[in-house]
Order: sequence, then structure tokens, then C-alpha cells
Amino acid sequence: MRRLLDSLDTPTIFAVLSLGGLGILAIASSTLKQPGRDDLWKMQLIWILIAGIAAAVVILIDYHVWAGIGMVLHGVVVALLVVVLFYGREIGGNKSWLVFGPLRLQPSELAKWTTCLVVAAYLAHRHKETLRLREILELGVLVGVPMGLIVLQPDYGTALIFVPIFLAAIWMGGLRWKVITGVLVIGLGLAPVVWTQLEPYQQDRILTVFDQERDPSGVGYQVRQSKIAIGSGGLTGKGLFGGTQSQLNYLPAQHTDFILAVIAEELGFVGGAGVLGLFYFIMYRGFAAARTAQDRLGTYLCLLVVSWIAGQVAINVGMVLGLLPTIGVPLPLLSYGGSALVAVLCGIGLVVNVRTRRFVN
Amino acid sequence: MDYRERFEIKDYRNERMLGGRIGLMHAGVIALLLFFSLNFWYLQVVRGDSYAALAENNRLRRVVLPPTRGVIRDRDGRVIASTRPSLNLVLTRESSRDVDIQLRRLAPILGLPYVELKERYNRMRGRPLFEPMVLKVDVSMDILARVESRREKFPSVEVRQIARRSYPEGAVVSHPLGYVGEVSFAQLTSDGEGPDLASGDIVGKAGVEKAQDERLRGERGVTFVSVNNLGRRIGEGRMGQPAVAGADLGVSVYLDLQRTLMEALGDEIGGAIFMDPWTGEILAMGSTPSYDPNDFADGISRQVWESIQGDPRRPMHNRAIASFYAPGSTFKVLVAIAGLESGAITPSERVYCNGSTRIYGSTRLCWKRGGHGWVDLRKALTQSCNVYFYKAGQKTGIEAIHKYGEMFNLGRTRGLDIPGEAGGILPSDAWKRRARGERWYPGDTISVSIGQGLLAVTPLQMATLMAGVGTKGSLPYPRLTARGGRPSSKVEVSESTFDLIHEALADVVTEGTARRAAVEGHTVAGKTGTAQVYKISAGIDADKMDKAQRDHAWFAGYAPADNPRIAFAVVVEHGGHGGTTAAPIARKVLKAFFAKERAGADLPVEDRADRGRPDRGRDGSYATSSR
Repeated sequence: MRRLLDSLDTPTIFAVLSLGGLGILAIASSTLKQPGRDDLWKMQLIWILIAGIAAAVVILIDYHVWAGIGMVLHGVVVALLVVVLFYGREIGGNKSWLVFGPLRLQPSELAKWTTCLVVAAYLAHRHKETLRLREILELGVLVGVPMGLIVLQPDYGTALIFVPIFLAAIWMGGLRWKVITGVLVIGLGLAPVVWTQLEPYQQDRILTVFDQERDPSGVGYQVRQSKIAIGSGGLTGKGLFGGTQSQLNYLPAQHTDFILAVIAEELGFVGGAGVLGLFYFIMYRGFAAARTAQDRLGTYLCLLVVSWIAGQVAINVGMVLGLLPTIGVPLPLLSYGGSALVAVLCGIGLVVNVRTRRFVN
Repeated sequence: MDYRERFEIKDYRNERMLGGRIGLMHAGVIALLLFFSLNFWYLQVVRGDSYAALAENNRLRRVVLPPTRGVIRDRDGRVIASTRPSLNLVLTRESSRDVDIQLRRLAPILGLPYVELKERYNRMRGRPLFEPMVLKVDVSMDILARVESRREKFPSVEVRQIARRSYPEGAVVSHPLGYVGEVSFAQLTSDGEGPDLASGDIVGKAGVEKAQDERLRGERGVTFVSVNNLGRRIGEGRMGQPAVAGADLGVSVYLDLQRTLMEALGDEIGGAIFMDPWTGEILAMGSTPSYDPNDFADGISRQVWESIQGDPRRPMHNRAIASFYAPGSTFKVLVAIAGLESGAITPSERVYCNGSTRIYGSTRLCWKRGGHGWVDLRKALTQSCNVYFYKAGQKTGIEAIHKYGEMFNLGRTRGLDIPGEAGGILPSDAWKRRARGERWYPGDTISVSIGQGLLAVTPLQMATLMAGVGTKGSLPYPRLTARGGRPSSKVEVSESTFDLIHEALADVVTEGTARRAAVEGHTVAGKTGTAQVYKISAGIDADKMDKAQRDHAWFAGYAPADNPRIAFAVVVEHGGHGGTTAAPIARKVLKAFFAKERAGADLPVEDRADRGRPDRGRDGSYATSSR
């Protein structure tokens, strides 16, 4: 236990707490003046404490144990995903919430975590360095079952996060280069064909990614307002609680999906790039933990969690910057939402767990 | 520790493969985050200023503050036009919950069909959401109470306060005052109008409201309010420029005299002017039928507009200044002056009237069948003998008549300070050649001698002439407001001529054709007139004719006869004889005028300056006392 505390990854924990704290400030800034929402930041604070306790539990128990019971946990979560389809509470168009009295749970967030566990265990079990088609399909089932159930809710944003997890899995599993190049070549070859099949509005969305000035309002009010918020922040921002776009509700979902726009408006480029830097630091620690892990299970766990966080950050930031179409994906650690916080902190807990146990005793 | 054994697999090649792929993945993450950082840099630092402007634009909405239009008071300081707060019932459209149900419930309360409300609601589509739909302007307390008592049924209904022009006297003062309305497109695009008019501004459309628009209107202010994403105002932004209220204004009209005049005119169609003969200040200006300027105060409804515009009696037309009529016998005053001054006739010269005379081969009738017998000038004026004036006009000639007519400003505008003043016709040989391409025939002069034929004057011109006669040569410039007043012009006519005319005109009321104009205890001087509508009417009893074919009746004059303090002209269209219809109207107003003078004289001395003869106060207002 003592050794556990000694080797605890303090810089990572510091980075996580910084992002969480920044999230609370941004939530407070954008919701304090809204009647009925003025104590959301307190809720988020409580959720950070709960998530912290959950992460501590994850760290305390050896990751091999987690991997061992991973399939059971995954099964339970998948069962919950089925239950939620029938008994879930619908909020914001998605039937993704299980309500137990005052507690509201999103099984889809926990599914990300258990998927990382079972995929890592599956890959670590193998004794080969290349993936066969059968193995790709089996991995596809492990990832695809929860993802499919989430699509049914329908919560496309959350489901989308399983794509980078799956891609990281086959990448780490040793997908052959000739397969990768083959898929890329075919993909590029098919692109013009697919392009012609797209609806004009879909083409427009894609074009917007390449041309920032292209009809911003046509693609959506949200993206336009988000870009105005970010752009008007300038180098150092308008000061915490001083963002007009966020304070006056111009930003859509400003305390959830568009929280980064609030930070970028109020803290400027320094704040926006700072958040990206902190995320990079967490991912960097993840890569380091993956390299120094005592075995491949640890390596895979770290890399899958990093791919999860990186994928979610990429989709959210891409959306906030107007580079991607608006999909409901929260920014890890900062966006308001309890289940997501618990899931991400448990994921990072796994990374810390692997790092802490990097020396074979 | 069995878990560890299960997973303890050391495969060197696999490790190396993994190491390489971790590196690539790491590089990918770095590249992605750098790309995002560059995007932030581009948006926030490179384009930061333009986005900051967009954000401000988002947040602050420019709101025009309409100025408060100046109050208009009558000569006694009574408010005749003001801006009062009015309550509009509006439907907010930001959260359009159950709009249909609300509109259905509102329809019976507002007394409007649901279909109309729904159609108006649909027409609001495409307008910004924060702009509410106006359900009813200037709602009554009764309607308000009925809506408020069932507040929960009307979540989207709100009450908004707006400033509304209000004319407490309604149709009584509408012709001198005019009315206001939203600035027209034509007015906005024409260069001549005020340079700082903007769409939506309320401007004067007629009368004093139009003439003094720039003073009354004030200056628009602007403020920037902070608005949220729905455009709803959530706080003050910064003040741009406060609105400047329009200046208050006094008009020369006595409200009570005006009321008396409009009552006296009643259902007749006609126009009348009463003015101070020395200053030209108009004390009452009536034109019937009239209209209610309140109907125009907030976007006149189509039905009201059409009913006003489609009325053949033209209620918007100010007959006192914009209609011209043949002056009829009132013109004999001018012919007498022209004849005496040019030496063509003398006061003692007598003419025998047997009811008709033959001049230039045609028979001309006098209005009195049996004739007046021997008449001199004084009797001719008093009895309005046509035969005398046929001969007098013949001797005087059209050029002399024209010369003196011009001196008294007949047939021309005199720069009245409200729009709409009409000119008219004062004929001469030159005029006829120009206008008709014909030379002047001697017979034309004969018709003109008794005020018929090619003559057209307005009541305003006739009243001005009477003021000039009453003051013995001081011809005023009529006006409604104190600003831009000009001293009266001088008419070069001898004292003896005026004396004779004065005596004759006084006789008209005491023993002549206008006995119904007499006011007990006061002397009135005047001249009746009958403007022919159809040639046949001469010599036919007016009462036996169709109203539409009857002649227009005139009565013009001044009072008191020896030292006039009021000059006037009254026309009643198709009124028949001036003595029977026009004279009684003048009498009622004169009676009220003298009663008012007496009331003013009875006041304590210090109040008299205010009430009896109010002086122009600051800002050109007539009233110094405000109540």
C-alpha cells in the first residue's frame, strides 16, 4: 500500500484535477445566471468526488484482476444497455439514462470502460503478432455489441467513440500494413464515388472542414456561434465569467458539448491551447505507461484508454471548431455529466494502475 | 499472482512491432492536437478582431428611442394634441406554445374573428422572433381586465406601453392641427424632406403637425441593449444618444371658439375662418365634414381610411383654405372700393333698379324681382343690389377691379403657415388670354361685378380682405403659429372710401341682408354673398331648389364695426342665401367671442394678461400659463 502511494502518478492526477477544476469554473460561468441551473457546478463537484473515489478503487485493485472479471463486467453493462432501451429515461432525445431515485446513470459511458478491459484482455491472450480476419471479427463483436445498442438509443455521439477504440485495437493487435494500405487505397479510390452519392447538405458539411469561410450559418447556428465565441476570446480571453457569448446563451449546450468554446472565449487562446496541452500531457503519460508496462495487458489497457480519450477529444474539439458536424460528444473531464466523468476517471485510473505496477516484484 | 503468470508472454518481435505502432500513434495524437492549436490560433489571434466584432454585434442590439412629440396648446394653453402612453396587447412569439388555443380564446375578448388573428400571426413569419405580434393597439381597461383575470390561459400575451399621439378634441380641431402617421416611403426617398427621417418615424401629415413637424418631432435617440440568443432584452448595454423631446407649440386658435364654430357648422358642408384682423392670427378655422385625427395615430385601419377617402364630401379637405368659390355679392365690397378709388363712381350717384337691366345685348337680373328703386352706393351694398353693381363694374372696368383685388390679395396664396392653402382666380384681360386663350369681353366684367363668373377665392382670402377693410388698410398675413409672423401689408385706399364702406357694411347687419348676424350689444359689419352653382338659379327662390343645385352661401365681415377685433368669412356649400345660412353661423361664433372677451375683462388685472389677451411666451407658444 505504501509503495502504491509512493509510485502514484501525481503529475497525471494533477493534470486531471486541473481539467476537472477548469470544467467546474466553465460550467459555473455559463450556468450561474440561468434559473434552475445555477447549482450545476456543485453537482459537477460532487461527481468529481464520486469519480475520484471510483478511480481510487480502480487503482487499488491490480489491473489483472480487472481484466479477469472484465468479461463479467462487460456482460453486466451490455445487459444494462438492453434494459435502458426499455426502461430508460429519455433526455434530450436519447433514451440513455437509467434512473435510480436521485441517481442517474448512463450505462453507455461505463460501456467504454468495460470495452477497453475486454479488448485489452482479448489482445493480451493472443500469442501472435498479426491479426487474422476471425480475430478482427471477434474484436468487432466485443466492441460492436455495446456500440450497436447505443446506436439504438439513439446516441450516435457516444457510439462514435467506440470507433477509435476499435481502430486502436486492430492497430495494436497488428493489423498488417498491406491490409491498412489496401483499405486506404480502396477508400481513396471510392471517395469520389461516395461523394457523388452524398446529399448536398452532407457535401457542404465536409467542405466546411476544408474551407473555414464557407457559409458558416448554412451549416448551423451552433457552429457559427461557437466560432464567434472562440474567435472573440482573442489571445487571453474576456476573463472568467466575462464571456458574453456564453453568458448570454448564444452558445448551444454551453455547459456540456460546447464547454471548450466557453473556456476559449473567457480564457482566450491561452485557455484553449492550455486545455489541449493538459490533454496531451495525460495522453503522453498514457503512452509512457504503455511502454513501461510490465506486460502486454498493461500496454494494451493504456493504449486503449488513450485512444478513447484522444478520440473523444478529437471529435469534440473538431465539432467546437466547426471542423466536424455537430454531434453530441462531451469533452472528457470538462463537460457537465456524472457518468462520463466516472467513466473517464476510471479509464485514467487504469493507466495509473498499470504505471504503478510497472515493476515486476 | 496467477493472473500475472497467465499474461506473462514475452515475444520480442511483437514488442518491437508494438513499440513502433505506439510511436506512430503518439505522433498522430501530437499532429492532431497541433492542428487544433493552429485552428485556435487562427480563430482567436489571426481573426480575433473580426470575431470580437461579431460577438458584440450578437450581444448588443441597436434600439431606436422615439422622441416624445411636442404638446400643442390652444391660445388659452389648453392641450389639443399630446403624446400619451397607450397600452398595446401583444403576443410574444419566442415560445409559441399553444398559440392556436390562445388566439381562439382571445378572439371573442378582442371582438376579432379568430381567422383574422391567425392570418396576422402567420404573416409575422419571417420577422425576427423577438418582435411580438400586436394583437390590439390601445386596449381598453375592460379588455385588459378580462385577459389578466385569466392570466394562466394566456402565457404568451403581454402588455406593452407605447407613446401614442392623442387629440382630446377629436374632429373639432383636426383641420388646423392635422394629424400624424408613419413616414411614407415617398417622403423617405425624396430629397427635399428632413434629412434625418428613418423608416418608422412618426411625422406630421397635415396642418400644424406637418408645418411644424421638425420642431414638434424632436430627435430620435439610440441605445444599445444587451440581448440574449433569442433577442430578448436582458439588460442595458450602453447608451448611444438620448432622444430629444420635441418642442411644445402654441397655436392661435381659441379652442372654445373652434368648438362653437364646428357646432354651428353642424351637418352643413362648408368652411370658415375667424382671425384677428390686426395680426392675422387665426382664432378659429372650421371645415366640415371633419375627421378624427385619432384614427390616424397608430396606423389607420383600412376600413377607416377607405371610408374617409371614399367619402364624396371629402372630409380631409380643408375648405377654409383649400376650396375656392365664386365670392358672390361679398365681392361687391371690392368693386365699390375699386370704383370709388379709381373715380369711376361717386357715393352720391344713384341708379334706378327695376329688377333687371340690359347690358351689351343681354338681360341681367337683380336678385330682387321688383327691383330696389333708386339706390346709391350705400344702399346698393346694404341691399346687395345687382343692377347698381352691373353699372358700377361696367364703369370701373376689369383692370381697376383686378388692381384692387391684387392689393387685397384675392385669388392668391398669402403664405399661411400650414400646407394646403389654395390660390384661386382674380381675372384680368392678361389672365384670360394666358389661361383661356381668349380676349376679355366687356360682358365678363358684368358677371365679375357681382362676384360671379371667372372668380374663385377661398374663405381665407375673403376673411383677409375683410380684415383689411375693417382695419382701414392694414392687410394681415394669416397664420396659426406665432413663428414667422409678418407685419400686415398696407393697402393704399383713402380714408373716406373706407368710412363709406364701413357704414354700408354695418348697415348690412342692422337693416340689410344679414340681419341674422346681429349680436346683441355689439356691432357687426359684413356682407352676404351667394355664389351661383348653376346659371339658372338667379331669381329663383333657394328654398324651392334641390339642395345639390342651391348656391353656395357666403357671409364675410368683421366686428365690432367701429374697431374690429375679429374678421371672418363663412361659406356654406349649397347653403342658398348667405343671409339665411352663413350669417347665423358667424353670429354664434361672434357671440362666443364677445362673451369670451367679457369674461377675460372681468378677471383680476394680473390674470388678464394670461386669459384675455395671452401674449406669446417662450418657444413661440401663445400660452404662458400651463395647466
